[in-house]
Amino acid sequence: MTTTTPFSRRFLFGALLLLPLLTGIGKAHAGPDVASLVENGCDACHRLEASIPEEGRKGPDLFFSGNKFQKQWLLNWLQSPQPVRPSGYTSDPGFLEGKPTVAVPHPAADAPEAQALTEALMQMKVEGLETAPPEVAEPLSKGLRFKIKILFERDYGCIACHQTVNLVGEPRGGVSGPTLLNAGDRLQAEWVYNWLKTPARFEPKSRMPVFDLTEEERIQLTRYVMWHKTEKEEK
Amino acid sequence: MTGRIRNHKSLKAVLLALALVLGACGEDKQSAGRPRPPTENEPPVVATVPVEPVPQTPAPKAHPVTAKTKETYQWYCAQCHGVKGKGNGINAPHTAVPPRDHTKAAYLETRSDEQLFHVIKFGGLAGGRAPCMPRWGHTLDDDMIHSLVNYIRELCHCEAL
Repeated sequence: MTTTTPFSRRFLFGALLLLPLLTGIGKAHAGPDVASLVENGCDACHRLEASIPEEGRKGPDLFFSGNKFQKQWLLNWLQSPQPVRPSGYTSDPGFLEGKPTVAVPHPAADAPEAQALTEALMQMKVEGLETAPPEVAEPLSKGLRFKIKILFERDYGCIACHQTVNLVGEPRGGVSGPTLLNAGDRLQAEWVYNWLKTPARFEPKSRMPVFDLTEEERIQLTRYVMWHKTEKEEK
Repeated sequence: MTGRIRNHKSLKAVLLALALVLGACGEDKQSAGRPRPPTENEPPVVATVPVEPVPQTPAPKAHPVTAKTKETYQWYCAQCHGVKGKGNGINAPHTAVPPRDHTKAAYLETRSDEQLFHVIKFGGLAGGRAPCMPRWGHTLDDDMIHSLVNYIRELCHCEAL
């Protein structure tokens, strides 16, 4: 099932179709980062600017990818994409049926392409995020992790939509939200911390409920999400 | 005998209402599931009819089900409760407690509108139900939640007993 078509060629047609739009994007957010993403046709499915209408997007927004993702994860993922959302993106017509129709699998890039795309994606940032307190990066003791697990599963019901692990380390949880099984490799703690407070800053209408968390809960849940790492894939 | 049962039922309803601390729930009497009176201008005609009243057209609900209600249900609730409310959403096979089937009158008629409102707003755990049901009170306003309760009543073709 691996694609042999070069990444850039696969999107050439789409990119050409969208040429008029591209010039607009370049103007709104002048920078080599957007231009190189546009060159690769990323904008056919992803929003590269907050000002672009949400209709028609087929994948997650990338205008804050530099805030959200870890560089190494992006680099690996672009070469070997695996679904992050088990049920596909929320706008997919098959989403509520669990049968996503679009963008699965995401086209794979070769190593140099992935490198260039990662560099560009890491430049895509929004300003003015809250600085996360240093605790979010601290390792989580087993005892505290179990305590937060109760917060995550029982008090806030996050488990209904997100996959995490059960007490023996097996996947457990719903599939309508992005998996958290590798969240600690994929996401930046500061982004998680900000997402939990003001999701609308990134996503005007997520399918996730907005929670009025205390500061302590927000820190704890960020730590819990970031605890989920997978050592298998890469190093 | 029936009086005792009725008293018991009434007491239970009062206790439940108290325990749930329903801000919007002004009725603590045995709730017969009758829709709330829509206006104060209506003369209390029905109350004085001595024999069983002929069913009239029900009074319009205060928070009618609109296209926006159904859209909201599809956007949020259907993830677990399913597109048609049958409790078979994409998360259903993965939740510890199966999501409620909103088409099942047998259960839903045992819940008052206030109880349904409370669970949507404050989450399953707060209503003594499954904790997988998150609280939606910071996502949806009270009017929308009332309207969703009415939509659930449409799905189950039932009212609270």
